[in-house]
Amino acid sequence: MARLALVLGTLAAILYPIPLQIQGTTYYQTVGFLVLITAMLGVGWNVIGGWAGQFDFGPQVFFGVGAYTAALLYVKLGVEAWLGLLAGVAAAAVICAVLTYPLTRLRGHYFAISTVAIWMIAQPIGATWEYIGAAQGLFIPMKAHAGIVGSAVALQFSGPTKALGYYYSALVLFALTVALMAWVERSKLGFYFRAIRDDQEAAESIGIDSRLYKVLARSITAGVFAAGGVLYAFWALSVFPEQVLELNWSTLPIMATVVGGIGRLWGPLLGAVILIPISQIMSTTLGTGPLAGRGIDLIVYGLIIVVIAAFRPTGLLSLPWARWFGRRRPAAA
Amino acid sequence: MTELAQAVVNGLQMGFLYALVAVGLTIIWGLMEMINFAHGEFLMLGMFGAWWLSAGFHLDPLLAIVPIALAMYLFGMLVYQQLMRRVQGGDPFTQIFATIGLLFLLQNAVVAGFTSDYRFVNDTFLQKLGGVRLTLLGVTFAVPLLLAAGLALLLFLALYLLIERTEFGLALQATSEDRDAARLVGIRPQRMFAVAWGVGAALVAIAGAILVNFFSVYPQVGLQFTVLAYAIVALGGFGSILGTLLAALLVGVIQSVTVVYLPPAFKDAFVFASYLLIGLFRPQGLFGRF
Repeated sequence: MARLALVLGTLAAILYPIPLQIQGTTYYQTVGFLVLITAMLGVGWNVIGGWAGQFDFGPQVFFGVGAYTAALLYVKLGVEAWLGLLAGVAAAAVICAVLTYPLTRLRGHYFAISTVAIWMIAQPIGATWEYIGAAQGLFIPMKAHAGIVGSAVALQFSGPTKALGYYYSALVLFALTVALMAWVERSKLGFYFRAIRDDQEAAESIGIDSRLYKVLARSITAGVFAAGGVLYAFWALSVFPEQVLELNWSTLPIMATVVGGIGRLWGPLLGAVILIPISQIMSTTLGTGPLAGRGIDLIVYGLIIVVIAAFRPTGLLSLPWARWFGRRRPAAA
Repeated sequence: MTELAQAVVNGLQMGFLYALVAVGLTIIWGLMEMINFAHGEFLMLGMFGAWWLSAGFHLDPLLAIVPIALAMYLFGMLVYQQLMRRVQGGDPFTQIFATIGLLFLLQNAVVAGFTSDYRFVNDTFLQKLGGVRLTLLGVTFAVPLLLAAGLALLLFLALYLLIERTEFGLALQATSEDRDAARLVGIRPQRMFAVAWGVGAALVAIAGAILVNFFSVYPQVGLQFTVLAYAIVALGGFGSILGTLLAALLVGVIQSVTVVYLPPAFKDAFVFASYLLIGLFRPQGLFGRF
């Protein structure tokens, strides 16, 4: 039954933009792109936050590392985006490992603050380092590409197919991320992560090196954020500190994860599907009226999070779907 | 040399203001071990309250402290009883999310009501003293900041005595150490937590009312102060009131000395770098007990 939901969901995700595209609308493809990128980051954050149980408030640093790495390679050496993506992921994972290993001496609140500390230090570095363009950042020039295939290989789409192209790119990256994380979840690694979360002393007593596995968990998270950063950079055609090091790149994925179900593979997707359109619908319906730009969408986010935290902290996926819908609707676990 | 001495003095004066912002967090987060990511929003509410009372009723922010502290004491208790009590027993993550939700809710409710414009409180008592300066050995002291620092010190002293020297304070500490044991000797833990939230909210709102003399007011104002407050509480050691004060002074000095030698963008970066450095050698903070 869960498999049926997966098949139907995949079909819907692949097919829904096509009639819209034919009709000439691109708006919903962009919304889909934002949903997928948020969900993907949430799936990545689940590794350190949901499985390893370490509160990481600074993964946006690695979103930035990925975006900058790929943009630098592209601008200075002409390296194509997908290669840049691999380089960005590798750079983020290595930098994260080096930075995080000393931090793993700290636990609980202290660890959480230290991830914020890294972010606070990264911001002025990004804003003043001339090589990476300082506060101006880097602009990613568009090149001419031969057809759809050329665009897809270069991760550069323009004109009427821009939204669609990036939507499918995000879908591919999201699918890859989920597949990888599903494998991690069932591997020995995943069990070690959860053992550390549930009882660090007990995990250590059976020979799990908690510091090593926390570093691994956070580096996986960093890798996913870097991939998201590269995708976003090529979509936005620019990288600058205030954009890629923004707090929203951690709060939105984390909120999506919590709403959907923390520690659950599909939780972030459900959360993102609920949260991101709210903000988009709000900005279109409120238009330029008196309530536009008054943060109404964020009030709704706040309410949703407060209600979930107070009444169902394990998230929407943890509700007894199977019991409510019996065999007609599969348990989304 | 004088430049450095001046920077240290300026830093110390700012440090007292930071201490005021951090101390409410010391009670809720440090002592009662409950996470409050909406702390900055409590500060913002205090600042908005002071602005509103000043703009609407010509009440000086220093006098506005009384009604604001009372209102925020009740608000803090309300937040505990309606929201935090529900999430208290669960995973610590739940507390984080509940208060992040609260952060979004409060901040954007104020955006919806007042827009994100910057507001200023004018002609306050402290601002009128703005021109008065004391000079000692070539180092200048601005009187308004000096008075604010004195006020902060007084509040600190009162809080220290409340927590360390009164029966109520001991009951609070007992609750944070062992809730069940506290209940056995007749302390009602829920009440203690509610009061702690009330006191924490009132203290940070008082900080807000003092800060409006020096800073503009806008709905997102909380973040810049709270990230520092978090570092200060962790640096000082959870639950240590004296530690919070000293760490806040240290943070103020690090900031102002950094600005002498480096671009201003780095002033917070060095605070956090020092936090990381100290944290690696003393994970429990400078004065932490655990």
